[in-house]
Amino acid sequence: MKRLKELFSNLQDFYLLSIQGLLNVGRRPFYFKDLIEQMDYAGAGSLIIILLVSLFIGMALSLQLSAELSRVGMKMYTGKVVGVSIIREIGPVLTALVFAGRVGSGMASELGSMVLGHQVDSLRVFGVDPVKKLVCPRILSAIVMLPVLTIIGDAISLLGGYLIAVFVSHQSGAVYWSSIRDVFVYENVLAGSVKPFIFGYLIACISCYTGLSTKGGAIGLRRTTTKAVVISFITIIVSDFILTRILLYVLGFSV
Amino acid sequence: MIEFDHVSFSYGARPVLEDVSFLVHADERVAILGGSGDGKTTILKLILGLLKPDSGKILIDGEDIEDKTEDDLKEIRTKFSIVFQEGALFDSLSVKENVAFGLREYTKMSEREIDQKVRVLLRKVGLEEAMELMPEQLSGGMHRRVAIMRSVAAFEPKMFLYDEPTTGLDPVNADIICKLILDLSQHGNGFIVVTHKIFDAVKLAKRFMFLRNSTMVFDGNMEKLLHSSIPEIQIFLRELNLT
Repeated sequence: MKRLKELFSNLQDFYLLSIQGLLNVGRRPFYFKDLIEQMDYAGAGSLIIILLVSLFIGMALSLQLSAELSRVGMKMYTGKVVGVSIIREIGPVLTALVFAGRVGSGMASELGSMVLGHQVDSLRVFGVDPVKKLVCPRILSAIVMLPVLTIIGDAISLLGGYLIAVFVSHQSGAVYWSSIRDVFVYENVLAGSVKPFIFGYLIACISCYTGLSTKGGAIGLRRTTTKAVVISFITIIVSDFILTRILLYVLGFSV
Repeated sequence: MIEFDHVSFSYGARPVLEDVSFLVHADERVAILGGSGDGKTTILKLILGLLKPDSGKILIDGEDIEDKTEDDLKEIRTKFSIVFQEGALFDSLSVKENVAFGLREYTKMSEREIDQKVRVLLRKVGLEEAMELMPEQLSGGMHRRVAIMRSVAAFEPKMFLYDEPTTGLDPVNADIICKLILDLSQHGNGFIVVTHKIFDAVKLAKRFMFLRNSTMVFDGNMEKLLHSSIPEIQIFLRELNLT
C-alpha cells in the first residue's frame, strides 16, 4: 500500500514537471545560452553515433529483406520495404533509443549531480526557477534535435540499404531510389515525423524528473541514470505502439 | 530574527529533526554542532524555505514562511547569504560567471559593471587571477572562497549561513575561511555556521547548539559548553583539548 502511494505520488510529480516544463518554455526569462548548450550536446554530440547506428541498421535490414524477397522473386521491392520500415518505424524508434541512451542518461546524471551538490538549491536561493533554467532548455532541445537527428538517421539508413541492394544484392540503383521516392508520400512522412517530437518530449521529461529526484550519493546517481534509460526505453516502445495505432487510424490505413 | 517553534522534519520514514525550538537574532554568531546525519544542514534548508517542516512553525523576522510560494520566498531568501557544503559552484560556469550569477539575476548592472564588481570581490579573497578558471580547476579552499563571494555579490544579507565551510580543508585553508567569515560579519551581521569541527566553531561562534539523534540537546555559550555533561559534547571537546 505504501509503495503504491509512493508510485502515485511520483507519477503526480512527474506529470506536474512535464506540464510545467512545457508551459514554461514560452515564459520569461529565456535561457538561450543554456538552450544552445543543450542543443549542441543533444544534437551535434549525438550525430556520429546516430550516423553509425543508422548506416548499419539500414544495411542489415536491406540484407535481410533482399535475402527473403529474392526467394519469392520479389527482390525489386527491397527499396520499398526498406523505405517504409525506416521512415515509418525503425528510424524514429531507433534514433529515439540511441538518444535516450546517450542524451537522456546524460541529462539525468547531470541534474542528479547538481541536486547532490546543492547546485539546484543554490539556484532556488538565487531566485531562479530550476524548471525554467534546467528543465525547459532540455525539453526544447530534445523536441528540436530528435526530429533533426531522425531525418538524418533515416537518410543514412536508406543509403545503407542502397549500398547493400546495389553492391551485394546486385539490384538496380535506379529502381531502389525510385521505390524510395514512391514511399515518400504524405501518410508515411507524417507517420514518421510526428513520433520524434513526442519521443523527444518524453525522454527529456523522464530524464529531468529522475535527475531532479536523485537521492543518496553515488549509488543514488547510478540508480537515477539506470532508471532514466530503462523507463525511457520502455516508454518509447510502448508509446510507439500506441502512436502507430493512432496514426494508422487517423491516416486511414486498414490493418 | 529566526525562530523555530517546535519544528519537526523527516525524510520519508526517517526523522531528521524532532521538536526543535530556538530563536536566533540577526547579529548573533551561532555554531550548530552535531554528528553526520543529525539534521544540521536540514536546519539551514528549512530557514530558507528549501524544505517545509512536517510540523511546527518557522518565523523569519516574525513572518511565518510555511505557506509562502517560491516567489514570496525570494524576498525572504535575500535576507540571507548561504554557502553550501563544498561551495556548490555551478560546474558549467567559470569562476567569474559563478560570482556574476546573482548580479545577472538580481540587478540591472551592465556587463562592464558586473566585470568590475566581480574583480573587486575576487581580489578581496586573492582570486582575481582565477577568474576564467572552471570550478573543477580550483582547490577546495579556492572553491569555498569563490562560493562565499558569490553569496554576497548580489545582495546585502542580514545574516550568513554556512554549511560545513571548513570540512575537507587543510588547517591553513580552514583558517583563511574562518577569517573571511569573521571579516564578513564585522558590520554587525550574524551567522549560523553548521559544522562538526569544534575547533573552527569555537574560533567563530559565541553561541553553540548541539544536535543529537534529531533533537537539540544543548543551546548555550562557550562557558556552558565547556561544562556540559552531555557525553557527545565531551567527545567533541576532547578534540579541542588535543589541539
